[in-house]
Amino acid sequence: MTIAALFITLFFCMFIGMPIAIALGLSSVATILMFSNDSLASVSLKLFEATSEHYTLLAIPFFVLSSAFLSTGGVAKRLINFAVDTVGHIKGGLAMASVMACMLFAAVSGSSPATVAAIGTICIAGMVRSGYPQSFAAGVIANAGTLGILIPPSIVMLVYAAATEVSASRMFMAGVIPGLMMGLILMIAIYIVARIKGLPSQPFPGFIQLARSGVIALGGMMLIIIVLGSIYGGIASPTEAAAVAAVYAYFIAVVGYRDIGPMKGVKWQKVNENFVSASIRNAVQMLIAIPKSFTDPEVRKVILDASKVSLMLLFIIANAMLFAHVLTTERIPHTIAESIISWGLPAWGFLIVVNVLLLIAGNFMEPSAIILIMAPILFPIATQLGIDPIHLGIIMVVNMEIGMLTPPVGLNLFVTAGITGQNMIWVIKACLPWLCLLLSFLILITYVPQISLFLPEYIDQLNGY
Amino acid sequence: MIKKMVSNLEEGFISLLLISMTLLVFVEVVARFGFNTGIHWAQEATLLMAAWFVLFGASYGVKVGAHIGVDVFVKIMPVNKRRIVTLLVILLCLVYCCLFLYGSWIYLSTMRMIGIEMDDIPIPKWIPMSILVIGFVLLIVRFLQLAWKVMNGQANGLSFADEAAESMKIAKDIQNTALGKDHNKESLSVKGDKS
Repeated sequence: MTIAALFITLFFCMFIGMPIAIALGLSSVATILMFSNDSLASVSLKLFEATSEHYTLLAIPFFVLSSAFLSTGGVAKRLINFAVDTVGHIKGGLAMASVMACMLFAAVSGSSPATVAAIGTICIAGMVRSGYPQSFAAGVIANAGTLGILIPPSIVMLVYAAATEVSASRMFMAGVIPGLMMGLILMIAIYIVARIKGLPSQPFPGFIQLARSGVIALGGMMLIIIVLGSIYGGIASPTEAAAVAAVYAYFIAVVGYRDIGPMKGVKWQKVNENFVSASIRNAVQMLIAIPKSFTDPEVRKVILDASKVSLMLLFIIANAMLFAHVLTTERIPHTIAESIISWGLPAWGFLIVVNVLLLIAGNFMEPSAIILIMAPILFPIATQLGIDPIHLGIIMVVNMEIGMLTPPVGLNLFVTAGITGQNMIWVIKACLPWLCLLLSFLILITYVPQISLFLPEYIDQLNGY
Repeated sequence: MIKKMVSNLEEGFISLLLISMTLLVFVEVVARFGFNTGIHWAQEATLLMAAWFVLFGASYGVKVGAHIGVDVFVKIMPVNKRRIVTLLVILLCLVYCCLFLYGSWIYLSTMRMIGIEMDDIPIPKWIPMSILVIGFVLLIVRFLQLAWKVMNGQANGLSFADEAAESMKIAKDIQNTALGKDHNKESLSVKGDKS
């Protein structure tokens, strides 16, 4: 009865177009008022506590801020150059380089559609000019772009950690191997296709050029190293690492790459300028630029955009915590778990149900919203069936990746259609072969838990647990 | 004029909170590793700022359409029907706000009567918690404004954040800067980089 009331209100509110945050909050409050003795005052206190007592949640606004600074075309171009110099000389190299650039940019920006937009705009056009079929290029990019939520640091993983209270660092570790593996699978598939179709390769630019583009790209890639290094090394919590990453991203964007802000377009070394005077000039300009950037319209816009995204996410999470509270006090997941166990559904069968459920949900909602609604329900059931929470998290994230490529809400499809100027049907057809690859990858991830669990367990061993 | 001022004020306040949170955590990390000291009130202050950021920002999010929702079903409805559904949605949102406003008010007045202080910062607990009341009042104002707009025909429904559209801005940006100028393979190489 309680279950029905809660879910009917929730889905009714959501499907008539209510903001998801308020739909979650309203259905929870309604259920509390109808079926329990909690007062409104205590419910309000819960909401305040949800926003003000979870230090780990603050990693979300900080990561959003750091990715807002680095989700620019300039960073994308630098990463693409590095990727082309690295793998461009293999057959089908430009496509492989796009996959690699997508992986790097996705890790830095944390957003799948932004990755497709930034890398796709440059790479699809580049591949078509080098003689690749456009549909091939579009399909590769749309799929590689989804890796953004699997390769850490990932905001979707932080949301999962918040919803289930598993450790965010362990989630990040668990994402590394599956992320790299998926990238590798894509590259191998590209190589096979390139062999069959005789796709071109780029000339190898030489090690000096490779080192040069590597150093330039390192400015952006350092962000991944800082975050993962400090979390894995046990130096800082994800929240602290995220704050450092945000400050670092600001410096790289404004002072290092100079894509935005008061130093935009200022060269590191002008023609015929000697090293000493260039260093002094740069030092002085940087000192002036830092206070100046507080009033700079571009910097302020980046911060405001990041604020909008983070407050939206945090407001949903606050309400989702209320929702999770109702679920636990009404023992809803336990009831479902008990009936599932009494049906005799084994763990592998449950995982099929989970996958199907998530794939359907992925057609209508955004990843973070799905995770916040589904994770508190699935998590206790999975624990009872002996499935590792981290493994469940990775399964959910891979499902969300597929959701980005399925209509009607597949964000990557929209962006790919936008940048290629083709219609949706064409884009879906272009993505389909690669989507099948992603689906087989999902099966692999689901039934081989070691892929996700190896690294976190190995690092636990290193730390002596 | 006043509208612009209110907008600037809201945006400035939200940005300021985000920057202060980030810098406070950053400074704390630096203090811990660089100077082996800590700031004992930093964590509490950061968390309070986060609460203000979210609860104050929620209403701003309604104004600028930063929230997310499922609108595939309402979008296919005819305009008149859609407006009626939107009004129903706003009504339900207002119910949500009023329930929380009422609850917060009771809680705050009790807290004020008892007069408990924060753990680390010596101020009574009800002062930072007043954002609950402020936030929900602002949220009610924004929803009423939206309802007015829908009734006047200026809006059809709630506007939601569209990540795909946001991402297309990056694509446009790249097309304007790099691909617009040269159409050969050179556009793959960087101009004006570190050298």
